Amino acid sequence: MTTKNEPGKTYLMQGNEAIVRGALEGGIHFASSYPGSPSSQVLGMLGHIAEDMGFRAEWSTNETTALQSCMGASFANGRSICIVKQNGLLVQSDAIHCGALGGIKGGLVIISSDDPDSHSSTNEFDSRHLAISANIPMLEPASVQETKDMIPYALQLSEELEQMVLVRVTTRICHGRGGVELGELPEKRPFTPIGEWDRMVGINWLHGFLLEKLEWAREAFEKSEFNHYNGLDKAKKLIITGGTGMKYTLDAIEDIGIEGEVGVLSLGTLWPLPEKLILERLKDAEKVLVVEEVDPFLEEHIAAIAGKNKVNIEIYGRNDIIPQVGELNPEVVTKALKEFVGIQDAKASDAVCGGEGCPAAEGLTIPERELTFCAGCPHRASFFILKQALRREGNHGVVMGDIGCYTMAGQRAGQYGYHFMSCMGSGISAAEGLGQLTNYGFNQPVVSLCGDSTFFHTVVPGLINAKMNDANILHIVLDNSATAMTGFQPHPGTGETAMGHETEKISIKALCESLGCRVWTADPFDVEETTQLITDLIRTKGLKVLILQQPCATLAAKTRAKKKVWVDTDKCRGENCGCDRYCSRVWGCPGNIWDFEKNCAAIDEVVCVGCGVCAKICPAGAIQVEEPEDAEGKGGSK
Amino acid sequence: MLSILELERKVVKTNLCTNCGACQGMCPYWKSYEGRTFVDYECDRAEGRCKYFCPRMPADLDSLMKKFFEEKDITSELGPVKGLYLTRAADPQIRAKAQHGGTMTALVELALAEGFIDAAVLSKAEGTLDPEGQLITDPADVRACSGSSFQIPPTMAVLNEALKENEYKKIGVVGTPCKTLSAYKMMAKPFEDNDNNADNIGMVFGLFCGWGLDWKGMEAFGDAGHADILPSKFHRMDLDDRQVDLDDVLPLVRENCNYCYDMTAEFADLSVGGARSSEGWDTDKGWNQLIVRSEKGQKLVELAREKGILEFREFGDDSAKAAAMDKLKKASASKKSKAVQALIEKDGTLGYLEPSKEIFAEYIK
Ligand SMILES: Cc1cc2nc3c(=O)[nH]c(=O)nc-3n(C[C@H](O)[C@H](O)[C@H](O)COP(=O)(O)OP(=O)(O)OC[C@H]3O[C@@H](n4cnc5c(N)ncnc54)[C@H](O)[C@@H]3O)c2cc1C
Ligand SMILES: Cc1ncc(C[n+]2csc(CCOP(=O)(O)OP(=O)(O)O)c2C)c(N)n1
Ligand code: SF4
Ligand code: SF4
Repeated sequence: MTTKNEPGKTYLMQGNEAIVRGALEGGIHFASSYPGSPSSQVLGMLGHIAEDMGFRAEWSTNETTALQSCMGASFANGRSICIVKQNGLLVQSDAIHCGALGGIKGGLVIISSDDPDSHSSTNEFDSRHLAISANIPMLEPASVQETKDMIPYALQLSEELEQMVLVRVTTRICHGRGGVELGELPEKRPFTPIGEWDRMVGINWLHGFLLEKLEWAREAFEKSEFNHYNGLDKAKKLIITGGTGMKYTLDAIEDIGIEGEVGVLSLGTLWPLPEKLILERLKDAEKVLVVEEVDPFLEEHIAAIAGKNKVNIEIYGRNDIIPQVGELNPEVVTKALKEFVGIQDAKASDAVCGGEGCPAAEGLTIPERELTFCAGCPHRASFFILKQALRREGNHGVVMGDIGCYTMAGQRAGQYGYHFMSCMGSGISAAEGLGQLTNYGFNQPVVSLCGDSTFFHTVVPGLINAKMNDANILHIVLDNSATAMTGFQPHPGTGETAMGHETEKISIKALCESLGCRVWTADPFDVEETTQLITDLIRTKGLKVLILQQPCATLAAKTRAKKKVWVDTDKCRGENCGCDRYCSRVWGCPGNIWDFEKNCAAIDEVVCVGCGVCAKICPAGAIQVEEPEDAEGKGGSK
Repeated sequence: MLSILELERKVVKTNLCTNCGACQGMCPYWKSYEGRTFVDYECDRAEGRCKYFCPRMPADLDSLMKKFFEEKDITSELGPVKGLYLTRAADPQIRAKAQHGGTMTALVELALAEGFIDAAVLSKAEGTLDPEGQLITDPADVRACSGSSFQIPPTMAVLNEALKENEYKKIGVVGTPCKTLSAYKMMAKPFEDNDNNADNIGMVFGLFCGWGLDWKGMEAFGDAGHADILPSKFHRMDLDDRQVDLDDVLPLVRENCNYCYDMTAEFADLSVGGARSSEGWDTDKGWNQLIVRSEKGQKLVELAREKGILEFREFGDDSAKAAAMDKLKKASASKKSKAVQALIEKDGTLGYLEPSKEIFAEYIK
């Protein structure tokens, strides 16, 4: 990503880089974020250049704090952007609603990245609904270029309306690439002192004013250059797209060869909708197909516009000829278009959203692979241990999880060790409620789990709630010293900031103890001792906090000398009774593989990170671990 | 069905499991914790040793017995009997700590010292709680295991581990009837090439058993150096000097023990219990009943007599001996009837005894 001032020059960029460049061209003073796919990288990049470019970039504890710090910066007429994923936007929901009522000063843009098909999420929520609910303007780019261009525009609009603006992007934008023609980098604007009678307060008597601002936005959107029209003028068959729907549609029209038959209205200003512009196109059309990501958002609002204006027209989209769930792909859009224009060779409903939809891959079968923990991941050991401890109890207990790499514990990787998973921060509070029932006859041990980043994000209030209500649960913090799932962004426990400065680490243990919680710490790699500790804690009544400490394997690989691990083939019992491939089949580390020729276990040296935990669990003692050579050159087996 | 699932469904989930440990110590899947047997993870094998070694999986016990014992010795109520004796350890130090007369401790010590066995798998408790299986190779350590805990440890897991190591070639094992039966199931070698070195079992020493107790709940009675269940007319358990009403203990009896047909450890080289002669408790206290079942058992007991390791008390005249035998048979038959009844009540069949129905027919009411 370039920080040079080279207006007119074109660079190939990823969508996430285009967001960064757009923020620079928008002259931001402040940027904040809590990581989340597909936009996790944006703030990291901003952090790298912030010092040089003279603005502040920070990782926030959660999305609410992120947005509210932007609001603070805005008060002094600073420009800011806040980057979140779809769930993050929902976490901010109250902050957005109240903030929108109070309005802002310096431009404030929220970038919310949606993940249709939930490639790296637990859901495919559609951010767009929030703009309606909070009454704020919303835009969605159709290309990487537009992504870059939209941000300075949105900042400008936000300032003019004194209202925050939402920009919705999707995975294909964030991770896609495209040529971007640069704009000018502006001079940094000085701040405006906050006067004695200046106010930023969200209070209901501003409700009417809030709606008025929306009407001003609508006026601006009627003429916006982010709305395009292509193809046949006065088309009877009209296609309306939002965001990336435009590119899929234009490609499909060309493929099918129906350029002369249809017209395409591509919208970039999604809320409030430019009604006049839309009506202008609707009045000539007989039927409309709406192509958009995830929910039938445009489809339903266009139907409402048509109804309100007594335009009698057929409207198709996600409610019928495009599947209701999953991501758009060329196949789905092509089939939908064919059905829409009446080409008989395919039924749109045969196509399935999601997947790669890549024609080049047709006929190739790609083996299904389950998500799993990395080689040497401490979470694997933690769930292995937890399952053993619960089995000892003769009651598999209830394990209430949270969101992070450890969510994969719901699958084989974690011995199917999850009974509950909802949103970030939910595990401990749900466990608290369930655990209370043990006072009324419910008779199963209740365990909740969270990662270290999640702990700071939303678990702390849940822990306080658990403490205050004298919960009967074991809460385990899987402390891998990282926000691993989203790519190692700093969090309050890591001791660094987005701009690379050191900051005092916040100790999870000290924090829990300060609340009066009983806290234990243990190492998940000490398989036996930690199993016994968990067994004992499950039997202890009341609120117990156990911090399982072991750095994420990816971090450890950078700092720890790698132990050599290998299988003594004479000792290995392999498939025989007495083992049945315990290492590769049950423990399941990708480093433990099966040598089909020798019919014996083996270690994949490339994948193995040398944690040596499989040696502790091998029933035959066949796995050997050699300590790395120390300074004096001495190594040795154990 | 997977071996592990079959065993889990037929034995563990139905509360037939004795926690003997015969399925454990060979693989990483079967475990036991505080008296309860369970699987951590599933093994994928259709055939495994666990289900064949388990004393509660159906098996033809009649054939099994005939395979290892002389047919002429086999009785319906007591299994094979070569002789019945009243004995105690000659060494008062053994008797001081032993359960009854210390016969078992004295015999195991002798067997180790004289090379009948080269290691012994015993059970050791801290006081009377939390017993654990122990592998003993030094005759001097045998005494540390004397006395009884009424909780049931998975001692056979320790035997399995020792067999697996293949270091000792004549291992003796002391156990309650469920455990000793499993030892013979091991020696019957269901898989010729995968027998966990069952030939390394040197001798099997049986303990009489009425029932065993659960882990949970026992702590309520507190620890003690010595626990004993008195003859039935007393209806009490003594914990050192404390007397506990048996009604308070009976709820802790393991459910699986209700389905146990064997009071005298019929599968064993010799079996030892508390003396219950016609002379009454005051005389019997501190004495054992000893049933010798095999030639090997016979030889060991003869040697103990020769060396003065055991003291023998005569039953009195022949009719007194016959009366003692009769009493034992009645007690044993009563356990069989109750087990058969309980099994039929449970699922309408004889369950794990079904393949041996002929020998149990007379106990069906
Ligand atoms: C659960 C249980 C129930 C019993 N019920 C009866 C009964 O109803 N009637 C009867 O006559 N006798 C019963 N016995 C046997 C009796 O308690 C004595 O063990 C037996 O008489 C031998 O006495 P001893 O003095 O020779 O024993 P000791 O010389 O003291 O030797 C006892 C041996 O028993 C082993 N042992 C101790 N606890 C256990 C255990 N929990 N599981 C397996 N092995 C153990 C020790 O390793 C030791 O080798 C029972 C034993 C147990 C363990
Ligand atoms: C509200 C919300 N914000 C962000 C995310 C994206 N996200 C998923 S897991 C995770 C952090 C996980 O870190 P941690 O709890 O430390 O667990 P680890 O992945 O390190 O095991 C984040 C940021 C989300 N799912 N929901
Ligand atoms: S767990 Fe041990 S014995 Fe089993 S396959 Fe792996 S290396 Fe071999
Ligand atoms: S072998 Fe013993 S411990 Fe295992 S299931 Fe059978 S009775 Fe239970």
